[in-house]
Amino acid sequence: MPEDELLATHLQELRRGTVVLACLLILQRPNYGYALLDLLEKYGFAVDANTLYPLLRRLEKQGLLTSDWNTDESRPRKFYRTSADGTALAQTLSHDWDELDAAFRSLKGES
Amino acid sequence: MTLTDRYVDAALRRLPARQRPDIERELRASIADAVDDRVDGGTDPDAAEVAVLTELGDPQRLAAGYADRPLHLIGPALFLDYTRLLAILLATVLPAVAAVVALIRAMDDADAGTVVADAFSATFTAAIHIGFWTTVLFAVIERFPGQHWQIRTWTPNALPEPPSRRLKYTELALETAATVLFSTLILLTPVVSTEKDANGDPIGLLAPWLWDTGVVYGFIALVVVALGFSFARYYGRWNVPIAIARGLATIACSILLIALAANDRILNPEFIAAAGWSGDVNRWVYIGVVATSIGTLAHAVVEAAKQVRKG
Repeated sequence: MPEDELLATHLQELRRGTVVLACLLILQRPNYGYALLDLLEKYGFAVDANTLYPLLRRLEKQGLLTSDWNTDESRPRKFYRTSADGTALAQTLSHDWDELDAAFRSLKGES
Repeated sequence: MTLTDRYVDAALRRLPARQRPDIERELRASIADAVDDRVDGGTDPDAAEVAVLTELGDPQRLAAGYADRPLHLIGPALFLDYTRLLAILLATVLPAVAAVVALIRAMDDADAGTVVADAFSATFTAAIHIGFWTTVLFAVIERFPGQHWQIRTWTPNALPEPPSRRLKYTELALETAATVLFSTLILLTPVVSTEKDANGDPIGLLAPWLWDTGVVYGFIALVVVALGFSFARYYGRWNVPIAIARGLATIACSILLIALAANDRILNPEFIAAAGWSGDVNRWVYIGVVATSIGTLAHAVVEAAKQVRKG
């Protein structure tokens, strides 16, 4: 396996799941698919459109997001918003992330 | 029809109808947003559309994401069961088929070359069927609607010793092996036989009427359906509808067998004559079938009652 590919695989493994947390946090304020994709990229969470759009539906199905069609503008858009369950999960996941971060710091002797 | 229309169509085609309108609306808005963004950045509209759709990738992959469908034939949760069952089937059925075919050919006084060639070709065909149907079975289980197969919790108790823990799986595997072997032998009887007619063609042990009317295929279908319910019991939850359905399949098998035996439709009269058996043989077959059916039915009822009480 070429070195680039190896690196890409490891990075992908490490980042898997962070997009869910990022979505749950960003969608505390309602937003729609493409704008969310843009925002995630700006914040540094690289995700493909073809991963994000189905993911939003899955999270909605799991009750972590709610959605509403906004037809005020000329182009109707589906706005997603983090539900109460989603907020609770985001808190749990954030806490876990912090613990991991602390664990890495102490591992590297920074404590 | 624009490129986007074709893309959206291709993605929606693979989705359940009730999800389509909502996903179509959202997908079209998302594509339009992405195209507008690129056009605002100075890209030519057609080039922007191509770029956006290229980025979205294969519409079937996108549809699989929306429908939560696996992009593999048999996933990690089932793969080990699949390979194990395949190994057990191949290891038990193939030698049996080879031995039976070789034995019958040898009894026909065929030369050694024919014995080996026939045994080999029958074994090869059986191997292909086992491989194909086992794969189909597991691919169907993998796609069973509303199920997400979890990898079964493994405990050291599942290690080869003691064998009692593996009894349930072994039972299932043996039942599968028996069904496959039984069906194979039934289907082979018209072509492989100890008796030959005046032209040297084999006389089948079972009545040709079964083949002419297709009853034999119906019977095998019933046996396979009953086996399917055993799989449902092992991989899914045992519930009352499945218990009833399995019971019905078993009862249908038995009734069909008894009806056939009662009308002397099981054995081939020509075979009985050629083998020089007495006419009483049909009566013995009838008694045997009735006894086996009663045993099977009693077993099915007890088993179902036990499972229902547990579930």
